[in-house]
Amino acid sequence: MMDVLSNISLGLGVAATFQNLLYCLIGTFLGTVVGVLPGIGPVTTVAMLMPISFTLEPVSALIMMAGIYYGAQYGGSTTAILINIPGEASSVVTSLDGHQMARQGRAGPALGMAALGSFFAGTVATFVIAFGAPPLAKLALQFGPAEYFSLMLCGLVAAIVLARGSIIKAIAMVVVGLIFGLAGSDVNSGIRRFTFGVQGLADGIEFVALSMAIYGVAEVIVNLEKKDGAAGIAGSIGKVLPSWADIKLCIPSVLRGTALGSVLGVLPGGGALLASFSAYTLEKKVASEPRRFGQGDIRGVAAPESANNAGAQTSFIPMLTLGIPSNPTMALMIGALMVHGITPGPRVMTDRPELFWGVVASMWLGNLMLVVLNLPMVGLWVRLLRMPYRMMFPAIIGFCCIGTYTINSNVTDIAVMAAITLFGYLCLKLDCEPAPLILGYVLGPMMEENLRRALLISRGDPTIFVSAPISLGFLIAAAALLLIVAAPAIRQRREEVMVE
Amino acid sequence: MTLTKTRRGLLLGCALALVTSLSGWTNEAQAQAFPNKPVRLVLPYSPGGIIDYVGRAVATHLAGPLGQQVIPENRPGAGGITGTDSVARAPADGYTLVLMDPAIVINPTLQPSMPYDLFKQLTTVSMISSSPEVVVVTPQLPIKSMSDLIAYGKANPGKLNFASAGIGTTPHLAGELFKQRTGVDATHIPYKSIGQSYPDLMSNKVQFAFSSIAGALPFTTDNRVNAIATTGKVRSPVYPDVPTADEAGLKGFEVDLWLGIFAPTGTPPEAINKLNEALRTALKNPELIAALAKVGVEPRGTSPADGDTFLKAEYAKWKKVIEDGNIKDN
Repeated sequence: MMDVLSNISLGLGVAATFQNLLYCLIGTFLGTVVGVLPGIGPVTTVAMLMPISFTLEPVSALIMMAGIYYGAQYGGSTTAILINIPGEASSVVTSLDGHQMARQGRAGPALGMAALGSFFAGTVATFVIAFGAPPLAKLALQFGPAEYFSLMLCGLVAAIVLARGSIIKAIAMVVVGLIFGLAGSDVNSGIRRFTFGVQGLADGIEFVALSMAIYGVAEVIVNLEKKDGAAGIAGSIGKVLPSWADIKLCIPSVLRGTALGSVLGVLPGGGALLASFSAYTLEKKVASEPRRFGQGDIRGVAAPESANNAGAQTSFIPMLTLGIPSNPTMALMIGALMVHGITPGPRVMTDRPELFWGVVASMWLGNLMLVVLNLPMVGLWVRLLRMPYRMMFPAIIGFCCIGTYTINSNVTDIAVMAAITLFGYLCLKLDCEPAPLILGYVLGPMMEENLRRALLISRGDPTIFVSAPISLGFLIAAAALLLIVAAPAIRQRREEVMVE
Repeated sequence: MTLTKTRRGLLLGCALALVTSLSGWTNEAQAQAFPNKPVRLVLPYSPGGIIDYVGRAVATHLAGPLGQQVIPENRPGAGGITGTDSVARAPADGYTLVLMDPAIVINPTLQPSMPYDLFKQLTTVSMISSSPEVVVVTPQLPIKSMSDLIAYGKANPGKLNFASAGIGTTPHLAGELFKQRTGVDATHIPYKSIGQSYPDLMSNKVQFAFSSIAGALPFTTDNRVNAIATTGKVRSPVYPDVPTADEAGLKGFEVDLWLGIFAPTGTPPEAINKLNEALRTALKNPELIAALAKVGVEPRGTSPADGDTFLKAEYAKWKKVIEDGNIKDN
């Protein structure tokens, strides 16, 4: 205990020097900017800054790169709320209720709550890293292919719970998402699937192309159909900050989201991604009026935003303590450390405590900076919404095209986006929720990869999934979730019958 | 200490920039000599890998001797094919280059169809670097050497798994070559990157891998996995105590994770020679050498002709491994 406190003060001493504060500010600012802009993600930004980082002290370099990473998570929610374009998979859920709030003239409270929730989650996650890094790192090592598969399966089942309307439609959307996810080169044999001989599809459908098509462009088309042209965004922008009542309502959601995000973020194989989805599902399950979710419930913003920020933070645990990268951005950070002659792993904490604790402390300071940077911006963002829609929609479409193109500098991606837009429009018309599709698309390939890897290792013996206790636990949880979903669905149908 | 070094580096950089801008002036007399505009260096993989790292480091240091900016550009996709293809189709004027690894010679054999013909559409500017792979094994089995690994494999047929960074990658084909050379049976378990496989290596779900040095270093420094051999001609300076595969009994077993820079066929010889010269100068820069050494990569400049010969030899080597191992039909 005293150890941790003295370590934290060591870390603060390192992080609060003028130089490191400056790099932290640069990092969080750049992160917010690239998070808001589609296309340029944290990976590209960190890669471009790599040569600069060689000339910095390793701790400054890492503080800056970490700032870019969690700053981008944060900035991603801004576009998700304002124009319904989630730039990162983790902000897909935020757009569900966040954008609805924006249309009701409550963009300010949504953005404000996202900021406050993220800050709280960031603070807690910093302490989770400080106190729990070594034992949590051991948890990450317990996860093999079988465990990941069962975790993902559990997540997919949760996707069905996530949907607003009909369960059948939700299952259909998950399956379509899985099929979209299957396109591209097969991991085990390299054979191309569903690419129709198109070279640009060899790596599958690009996430940004898919999400921009379904959320961005298809939504624009639906809005243009409405005669009034106002596209449903309320004339008044309302209050800029969340009210005390909003905050009180969100406190339990933020706590639950933070807890879920902190734990799932530790798993390097996609745990952080699951965090926001599971947090949303959990909120819907425990809420007294679950029907309001999807129609602009502020808890539907607070919980996933807290979860993804906590997850972004704790995903540093496997990187700093085991040397295992959770995502490409982390791989770049490991590369940057190695250039400085530091090999990430369990020894960093003992050999270079100033580095480890400096970075941990900088995360808390960085989160503080994010709030300070972003709360005053909320007013500005909200005013953007007042722009007439006839000016806004060409901008959104331009934004989507540029964003999709810059990911791989590949024109095929734009064509893919256009094609999926038609499909997305059809879905919106048929009242099919896109969120389960996105989750199926994101989790499907990871699930397949781990399923096949587990079966390769077990030489085809499927009992590997039930003989591993953690895996068995997730499978049981998935089954329980399915039951919970099935029960109210049956009840609901009965209600509908009664209404008729 | 580091700070003063940094400052010195900056000063040096400024001086270099000054010199190059001056030489640029004198060149203006001989109108339009190559290069008179920035050169694009396509990196056909996503940021984060070794190509990206080496590519950006080389681009930075190439600018000086070349007298022009070199702009690295990620064009990832299809195991390097997308980016390489874009260069194969680019104008042959020396302003578009691609940095590639052995996948450039593996893809034509492995893939059922290729959008370009490697030997007809691309030509070597220079090889850039050479880097051995390191054979890592799980610490949970009593395997301390190459002969232990072979003995264990022979005694426990069907028990060994080896990890790779995906089908057709050098770690995969090195494993296949190992199987063909030793007769050991092992199942290939592909991962998205070699870094992803380490948790499973540590927990003995996967028993060994031919890893890049950069991927292995965090785990071998504290023996969370054991390094039993490297695959270069000589020992790696990063692992001075680890024998080469050849020393460990696999005579002539060599796998090189080389990198080379290629240009579209038809690029004027003056441009190729200028680029080659500048590259070989850059590769002697101590700063670049040090940056590459950190990840176990050694600079190796060649003449365009020697590079082409090497490329053809590598093509033939991996073609045989793929065909003997029947990997394409999997």
